[in-house]
Parts: sequence; C-alpha cells; structure tokens
Amino acid sequence: MTNGYGGIIASGIRRSFGSVPAVRNIDFEAPPGEVTALIGPNGSGKTTLLLILASLLAPDAGTLSVGGFDPATNAAAVRRKVGWMPDTLGVWESLKAREILTTVGALYGLSSTAVSHRAAELLAEVSLSEYADSPAGVLSRGQQQRLSLARALIHDPDVLLLDEPASGLDPGSRVALRTMLRRLAGEGKTIVVSSHVLSELDEIADRAVFVNRGESVKSQTLDEAGTQLRRYCIQAEPMGALADALASHGVVFEERGDSRRVEYQVLLSSTEQAAWLLRTLILADVVVTAFAPAGGALEETYMSLDTERQ
Amino acid sequence: MSTDTVEGSRTHSLGYVAGVRTVFGLEMKQRLRGRAWYIMMAVWFLVIGLVFLLATLTTAAMDSAGPFLFDLVVGFVLFFGLLVAPGLSANAINGDRTGGTLAILQVTLLRPGQILWGKWLASWVASLGFLALSSPFIFWALALGGVNPLEAIVSLAVLALELGLVCALGVGISALAGRPLFSIVTTYMMVALLGLGTLIAFGLSMSLVMEEDVQVTQSFYDYPREAIESGRMLTEEDLECLTNQVIMPVWHTERTAWLLAANPFVIVADAVPYDRDSLQSEPDSLGNTYRTPGVMESISAQVRLAQAGPDYEVTCEEAQFFGPGSRDIEKEPLPIWPLGLVLQGGLAAAVLWAGRRRLVTPVRRLARGTRIA
Repeated sequence: MTNGYGGIIASGIRRSFGSVPAVRNIDFEAPPGEVTALIGPNGSGKTTLLLILASLLAPDAGTLSVGGFDPATNAAAVRRKVGWMPDTLGVWESLKAREILTTVGALYGLSSTAVSHRAAELLAEVSLSEYADSPAGVLSRGQQQRLSLARALIHDPDVLLLDEPASGLDPGSRVALRTMLRRLAGEGKTIVVSSHVLSELDEIADRAVFVNRGESVKSQTLDEAGTQLRRYCIQAEPMGALADALASHGVVFEERGDSRRVEYQVLLSSTEQAAWLLRTLILADVVVTAFAPAGGALEETYMSLDTERQ
Repeated sequence: MSTDTVEGSRTHSLGYVAGVRTVFGLEMKQRLRGRAWYIMMAVWFLVIGLVFLLATLTTAAMDSAGPFLFDLVVGFVLFFGLLVAPGLSANAINGDRTGGTLAILQVTLLRPGQILWGKWLASWVASLGFLALSSPFIFWALALGGVNPLEAIVSLAVLALELGLVCALGVGISALAGRPLFSIVTTYMMVALLGLGTLIAFGLSMSLVMEEDVQVTQSFYDYPREAIESGRMLTEEDLECLTNQVIMPVWHTERTAWLLAANPFVIVADAVPYDRDSLQSEPDSLGNTYRTPGVMESISAQVRLAQAGPDYEVTCEEAQFFGPGSRDIEKEPLPIWPLGLVLQGGLAAAVLWAGRRRLVTPVRRLARGTRIA
C-alpha cells in the first residue's frame, strides 16, 4: 500500500552484477515538486540506480519507496506512476513518432482517444509535431532523445526518471527541456535527472545527490551549494594592481594560466564575501574586468569531492 | 485515505488480451515495414516453385502424379518451414534487448507473459505467410487428382501447427539467450534435434531393444522344387507360399517408436488421413494393383510398422510382393502424431516457461554480459 509519500526514498541500496558491485551503498531522496540531480562520474552507478528506481532491476539490499510504493512488492503501481527515459535510445525504427507514443500509451492502459490526444500534445511540446509521421529511424539523435522524453511522459507520470536527458540536445532544446522540467516540478512531480553536465544542472536542479563508485557521497540542496566555499576568478587591468590590492587585504590568491589570459582565483565563503571583495577592489581603483564564480555551484562540490577522493 | 481517491482516479489498467494485441501489432508493423520478410518470401516462392517444377517434370509419366507431388510439396514446405521459422522467431526477445526496446516494454504495465504471447503470435503469423505462399503448389498438386481434399486440409493445418511450435521454441530461446546469433543457432539445433536427432536416437536404440533367439513364423514365396526341375518357363502362378518356424532376433521398436513421434516430419506425415486402401485399388495397365506411396505416406507407414513392433507371425498374405502387402498398419490402435504434438508442445512450453522467468522484472539475476537497457 502507498505510504503516502509521492517522492522517492531509497536507503542502503546495494546491487552487484556477478562479482562486480555497481551500487554499493546509495541513500537517495527526491521530494515531490523538486528536481533532484544525480551526479557522478561515468560508471558510478547512476544508471543502475535509475533502473532500480524504475522497477526494472531489483536491489540486492536496501529499502525503497517510489511514488509511495515498493517496486519489489508492487511493481505495477510503481510503473503507473513512473516515467523512465533511458540513456540508451531504444526506438522502434520503423514506427512513426506518433505510433511509438500511442503504442506505449496503450501499454499503460490509456484509451485510444486519450492517448492520441496526449501524443499530439507531447509531440508539440518537444517540437516534433512536423515529424509525427516520420519513421523514428530517420530522426536525428537529438530528435530521438526528445521523442524518448515524450514517451516517458505519455501516461502523465508523477515521478520522472531521466537518464542523461540533455546529452545530444542542441542549446535551444536544452533550454526547452529546462523550462519543461521546471514546469513539471512546479506541478508537484518528482523529477530525477542524472547528468554530468554540471553547469546545466545548476539551473535545473533544486538539490543534488553525488554518487561515486556506487556510493552516495554527498547530498545537498542548491541553496546549500551556493553558500559553500567557492572559487572566483578575477581579472584586472593591470594584473599587478589586483595582486597588490588582494595582498593588502590578506586575500590568498592563486595564479591560473590555463585560460587564454592570466587570471587569479580566490576562495570565498559566501556571496556576501564576494560582494565585499568586489566593492573593495573597485574602491581601491583596481580596474576589474572580470569577476565571476569559477564554475557552477554543483561543479564546485563535484570538484571538491574529486579532490577528497584523491 | 485521501491518497486513495487520487490513486483511484489515476489507476489505468491493461487487460491481458489488450496487452498481447498491442505487442502483436507492434511486432507486425515492424515486420511488414521491413524488407527482410518480403525478400525471404520471394526466395521461398522461387525455391518451392523450382522444386515443384522439377518434380512435375519427373513425374509427368507417372499415373499417380497427384498424390506423389502433393506429398513432395508438403514435405518440402515443412523442410523449408523448419529452416525459416527459427529465423523469424529466435531474435524476438534478445533482439529487442540489444536494441534497447525491450526495457521500454518492460517498464510499462505489460506482464512477461503478454510480451511472449504477442511476440510468439507475431512470429507465427509471419511464418504462416510462407505457408500461404506455398498453398498454390499444394492446390495444384491437389488439382492433378488422386488426393483427398481432406488430406490437403489436414496437411496444411498440421504444417501450420508445426511452424507455430518451432516459433514458440524460437521465442522462448530468444528470451533465454543473450545474443540473437546464439539463440538462432540454438533454435536450429533444436529443430535438427527433432528432425534428425530423433532418427539417430531411434537408430542407435535398436541394439537396446533387440531380443535374440525368438521363435518366429516366417512366410515367403518361392518356386516349388518340382517346378524348377521341370525345366519349363516359370511364371508367377508357380509361386508357392512356404511357412516355417525360425529362431531369429527381433527388434522391439514399439518401445522406441515414441522417439520418432517427436519428429516434425513424422507428425505431419502421420496426421494425414491417407487413403491407404487405394494402394490396392484398380489394377493398372500392367495388371499390377499397386500405387507408389508418396514420401510422407511412406514415412507414416514406416513409423506405424515401428510402432507395431516385431511381427511374430508373417502370414502368406503379408509376404506378397504386390498387392496389399505388408501388415495392416491401419489396425495400430493409436496414431502416433498426437503423442508427437504433446512431446513438442511440452518442449516448447518448457522453453517458454523458462524464458518467461527471464522477463520478470524487477530483475534479480541478470545473465552475464546482458544489460537491461
């Protein structure tokens, strides 16, 4: 029976394939109405975790609740609530885009009138209306990806599991995806996005779970990520004046040469501190030409985990 | 509970038949839109046509060309059908798994049985297309006369059933095996096991069912000594039936005939209600009352002899060269083909059942080297 919680709670999830552990110990929570990013390097167990959440794979150990149900005991209830977009684009190449959506809709038990209406709506939403009657095999990778997203949404799921949804999308489609996911989250749906394009997740996600080598290593909200220690890049004309100003205020900086121009990186603990430093530099007549966070908030966490690991 | 009402309004359910129908439709659309099926059909038509044409030419002089040709076509259609059906069915599940589309089906409300039913029915219908394509030849042979239309209908029905059984094997094996190539080869091996393996097993088991030193009454025709010594031309009228008792080994093939029952050729051959009485019907121009039995009819006759087991008393009637000859095999109480269908059906059901277990999600044990998606 449903436990009343519409989101996802997983704790102590373990799964190995033969002797190879894919997921060692993952705790994962995705509340309804938010976009949760699942972040980790290749082979860290993201796809395996999503397969477990999608009720396709049984965990060796751990407790799990997806949309209020346990996939092990009530897979059908979970499937009614979950839309899953795999990282491998399985498309029936000879089927038309519209047919793929209506077929899958029928397999969710939707009536044919409801499903054809819904298919047209979704095709418009992922800008594939003009390809509705093209065989899926002739669509480009990005178009197939959008079709796959529409397919995952056909039964209006409460929980959406997206495995690398943005890879292969052009910038316009990425923006559209972002808008769509934010809207769906606004409607109260639980959304999980796995990716390693971190800059993008910064703008979509409300929270992030970092996994590495099959273990969840950190879980934080974007707000938390924003208040953590962050690196900022500063450039000025000339750089010498900047160096003096930083030194006089006791700010430790590091010269970075990997950019086309020399820049200084400083570690700042908060946005307030950043504002203070910028104001101070300008009042000291340093000609600041660039002052920006070195990377996204999530990238910062990701990199800090990376250094912890080494 | 408030969530229950929300649940209730959103609970879609998928009927069992509706799910099977959708999977079937999905499969058929893909087959009909691909080119492979049509190319295979064209090759099939050419090959069967060629065989039929050659057979027509060679049997043109025969009196009973109709039944002979009919038997030949049925035999060849079965042979080619056994070659085609594994190719049409044995990549049904693992082909989708490789293509990443199986998981998309599994994540819907479909149950494993529905996937198997849909895919099996689709591959069966696809292989029935080949049977339909060969029916002109069957009816042509029928038109030449001498074949009871009931024989034709039964033959087609049993051929269709055989194709369905091989497709079921193929679909089941494709769910079990990781790679399409492996499952197709395995299905061919299974078909070879049924088609040839049963014969080999039957042959090898002969030594196991041999009983030595059995007293048997033998009858045979020979010319009596006085006729030979008379020095005149001997005619058929001089033949005399001699009966004596001999001690000889006998083979209890009735114990091993069931091995042959699992052979697809035996099933098709044995199921047809041959007009065996016509073998001794009207005397032909040479005065012989003998009709050449077709290939399939001979198979059926041989199998029924094997079923009957050793003949402890060969009567004079049975010993005749011409005419009714041999034993009255119609007397054998049970035709063997139902047993064959049960054996093959049992095998197919076992393979499908094992395959179904591989489709159950959430997956606990995953075969080595396979991915869910």
